[in-house]
Amino acid sequence: MQITKELVQHIASTARLQLSEQEINEFTPQLKEILDMFSQLDQIDTKNILPSFHPIKLENVTREDTLKPSLTQEQALSLTKHKQDGYFKGPIQQHIKDVQNKSIDIVECTAKALEETRSINKEYNYFTAISEELALSQAKNLKANPKGKLAGVFLSVKDAICVKGVESTAGSRILKGYKPVFNATVIQRCIDEGAIILGKTSQDEFGFGGFAVNTEIVPKNPFNKERVTGGSSGGSAGFTQKADFAHLSLGESTGGSIVNPAFFCGVYGLCPTYSRVSRYGLLDYGNSLDKIGPIAKTIEDTALLLNIIAGNDKNDCTSSQTKTEDYTKFLNKHIKGMKIGIIKDLFGDKVDEKIKKSIQKKIEQLESEGAKCEEISMPITAKYSIPAYYIIATAEASTNLAKYCGLRYGAAENLQGNYNEFFTKVREANFSKEAKRRIMLGTFTRMAGYRDAYYTKAMQVRTKIIEEYQHLFKKYNALLSPTMPMLAPKFSELKQLTPLQHYMADIMTAPPNLAGMPHLNVPIGMHNDQALGLMLTTDHFQEGKLIQIAGNIK
Amino acid sequence: MPTLILTENFEKFTSDIIIGIEVHIQLNTATKLFCSCASKREDAPNTRTCQTCLGHPGSKPLVNKKAIEFAAMLALALHCKINPEIRFSRKVYFYPDLAKNYQITQFEVPLGENGCIILDSGKKIKIERIHLEEDPASLIHPAGIEKSQYTLIDYNRSGIPLCEIVTAPEMHSPEEAREFMNKLKIILQYLKIFDENFCVIKADANISIKESGYIRSEIKNITGFKEIEDALAYEIQRQKQAIQNNEKLIQDTRGWNPDNKTTIRLRTKETEADYGYIIDPDLVPIQLSEKFIKQIQQLMPELPEQKIHKFIHTHKIAETDAKVLAAEYRLAELFEQIAVEVSPQIAAKWLRRELTRVVNYNKMNLSQLKIDSKHLIELFSMIEKNEITETVGQDIMNQLILKPFSPKEYVQKNNLAKIQDKTQLESICKEIISKNAKVVQDYKNGKQEALHFLIGQVMKQMKGKADAKLLKELFEKMI
Repeated sequence: MQITKELVQHIASTARLQLSEQEINEFTPQLKEILDMFSQLDQIDTKNILPSFHPIKLENVTREDTLKPSLTQEQALSLTKHKQDGYFKGPIQQHIKDVQNKSIDIVECTAKALEETRSINKEYNYFTAISEELALSQAKNLKANPKGKLAGVFLSVKDAICVKGVESTAGSRILKGYKPVFNATVIQRCIDEGAIILGKTSQDEFGFGGFAVNTEIVPKNPFNKERVTGGSSGGSAGFTQKADFAHLSLGESTGGSIVNPAFFCGVYGLCPTYSRVSRYGLLDYGNSLDKIGPIAKTIEDTALLLNIIAGNDKNDCTSSQTKTEDYTKFLNKHIKGMKIGIIKDLFGDKVDEKIKKSIQKKIEQLESEGAKCEEISMPITAKYSIPAYYIIATAEASTNLAKYCGLRYGAAENLQGNYNEFFTKVREANFSKEAKRRIMLGTFTRMAGYRDAYYTKAMQVRTKIIEEYQHLFKKYNALLSPTMPMLAPKFSELKQLTPLQHYMADIMTAPPNLAGMPHLNVPIGMHNDQALGLMLTTDHFQEGKLIQIAGNIK
Repeated sequence: MPTLILTENFEKFTSDIIIGIEVHIQLNTATKLFCSCASKREDAPNTRTCQTCLGHPGSKPLVNKKAIEFAAMLALALHCKINPEIRFSRKVYFYPDLAKNYQITQFEVPLGENGCIILDSGKKIKIERIHLEEDPASLIHPAGIEKSQYTLIDYNRSGIPLCEIVTAPEMHSPEEAREFMNKLKIILQYLKIFDENFCVIKADANISIKESGYIRSEIKNITGFKEIEDALAYEIQRQKQAIQNNEKLIQDTRGWNPDNKTTIRLRTKETEADYGYIIDPDLVPIQLSEKFIKQIQQLMPELPEQKIHKFIHTHKIAETDAKVLAAEYRLAELFEQIAVEVSPQIAAKWLRRELTRVVNYNKMNLSQLKIDSKHLIELFSMIEKNEITETVGQDIMNQLILKPFSPKEYVQKNNLAKIQDKTQLESICKEIISKNAKVVQDYKNGKQEALHFLIGQVMKQMKGKADAKLLKELFEKMI
């Protein structure tokens, strides 16, 4: 695939990004390398294969034509400094310029938890915002009316999930100062059940990364501050390991961002089936891939939080109407007779031997509990998941990120130049390099003339991967693999990796995310200062079985 | 590596002028296309917005069922095939009026395809597709478009449902384009999916001429039905002039300035945005089953073509009358209500000529007219039964569209019944003759107008109640 500097320049201007000469020189070979990897999809025959625009069959969700109250003018305008007489104020349009130029004591307890949170945060960078005011007022209300399935439980929330009135930036400078006017459905459900919101946790910008280093506030591994937490939900996982009080965390995964940091931080992280948990109020990365899920110290806590957040939501038409189950009922259930497939393609040379050995022991233990474990192969999934995942994720992300332009909320630059210049300036100054790289990739793969070969092709490949999973799930109750191919690296080690090597680290986690399959990191001990873990995957809506098997791993 | 394919097939064209139109119609739903904010009402800026239509991160769209029903009705009325499953796409481009910097529209599979509108000449104009999309916000330039240093943005309009209709390039004159638009307007009136008083129709027109080898210009955002004809006529002249001056035409996008009636270049084809369409992953496919289409068909009112047929064959009125009545929904509606009680011929004549005359005189709009068919029935039946004269009838009509009242009571109260008593009339005629000796002499000398003057004098005295025909007979006999 020929990638010229001119093409890179063209993509950048289409996406209203301005790249320096150095960035262009850097991006050109990087994009070529990544696009060559994408082009592996050419090798798979997708004739007569329908594309899977969602991993789950979803259809026919509409809304009645009934009025609901709108925001007041003040609310609508409250997030921008660019306003006048009730209007949003924007830069002058391009074509005008063109015309011109012719161009417990829960209150006390909360105070204590907040203090501890602040002190941990000082050392480990787990939070982008600590919502002290909200937490204390919730605590006061709770003191008067102590009710709910999560009453008094402290909840930390990945920055990408909207909490009304609390700065929510998805780890990006471009959303500085953005305080949502509404709660995400998961937040509302947790609040309704009495959870106390501690704050927003650090993450890779918009979820773009597997090590939580693509952001300004970089979280540190709870076992060794020189190591990464993994990502992108790094702050959530690290804090979950560190917090010594009743605490749960909400993470979010697009291509592995729940199980990955859970693995590196030695905690449970459950990524539910796509559509199982409402995405309403989630700052989108790849909408057909994004899932919110629990991160917790124990499997019991994980099941408890899933019980609260799972279920249909009328505000998100991609949320499933399939009935939920009481996931805590799967705790303490035996696994006799269960069949577990061991994905041998994911135990290759590139996987750290220490990980392989630790998992082998657990497989033996599962067999001793009465499960039957067999090696299976997923050739299509193992080979094509990464390119298909990155094509879909970046194509969708590049459209989601278009809205960030400094006009209605977030980073506010002075209104100068025409709107193209203004948007470009805001985006250039406030997106990180990785965000720019992904916007560039996504803008390219959906361009007229390339869309079918990349975007549509990837959607078709997703169909084949879902089929490969579902074929196996006819025979097996669950699949087992490593969560990550490597143990928690040091920040210094990461610096040597190219963007493509970063992407390839998702080799284990991209497949279930792409296919919308629920998956879970089970922590299985330590190797010195590095956590160990394994990943379980089940069929759509079989979260219960994940919990059941995990409960039997000791 | 895939290559960009840009094909423009001009070879098939042979006529002098080629016109294709894209029409955007604001649908008359209560709420917006993807959120529950009100879709209309005159209001202060940014008072009908929420996180969804402001494009706040984390917000999600939810499709308005009614908008799909309305679009399906229009597709059926335009004889389109309705696709069994539709999806929504994101069309990405950066513009301050787009809350998300992408517009949710339909790209791959439109709601309807392959329809037509038939012109009076019998010519069919093909509708290539009809789809749903969201309206952008409105931009306001406080000091006028050329002098403003900033733009004011009102997101009240952001997300209002639009139905887009795309025709094949099959029209050959500005007049055909206007007729097409008029036919479309009538259908919208009948379907009641468009509110003329609140909603807006905008058109983009593609136009090219033979002399240039069909190099196409697209004129954007033409509002109004007369404007489209003017804009196209101007553009044909501009293109012809350019060819005559040996200028090379290039494919471009132009804006219509209704104030000075000219078009100006906005951009050339090379600078057109690449929209990078993807399926909107926040929305799910919607199935338009045969059952759904049947339900929509049951909701459909009779359309103009069916009405004309019915008026001619059931009500037995003349074809020209039927066409005029059917061309205005309100007239057709009134006619049907009245023709059950009164002779359809009288109803047709009076609605078509007199009601329309009075409405036009008062610069009113038929769709805004508040008139009770009961009162028209009273009026027309008095005319039918010869109880009042046409003059009195016309006078009542003049007043009836300004305020409602019972014509029957009015006639009684004001003693306006037609006077058929010959003796009474004779005595008045006598009086007029004696008062106007000179006029009488003129008439005797063969001046016919003199007789009309005399009749007029009687009428004046009788407040129009006399039978003009009878008066004429009397005068002829008496002089």
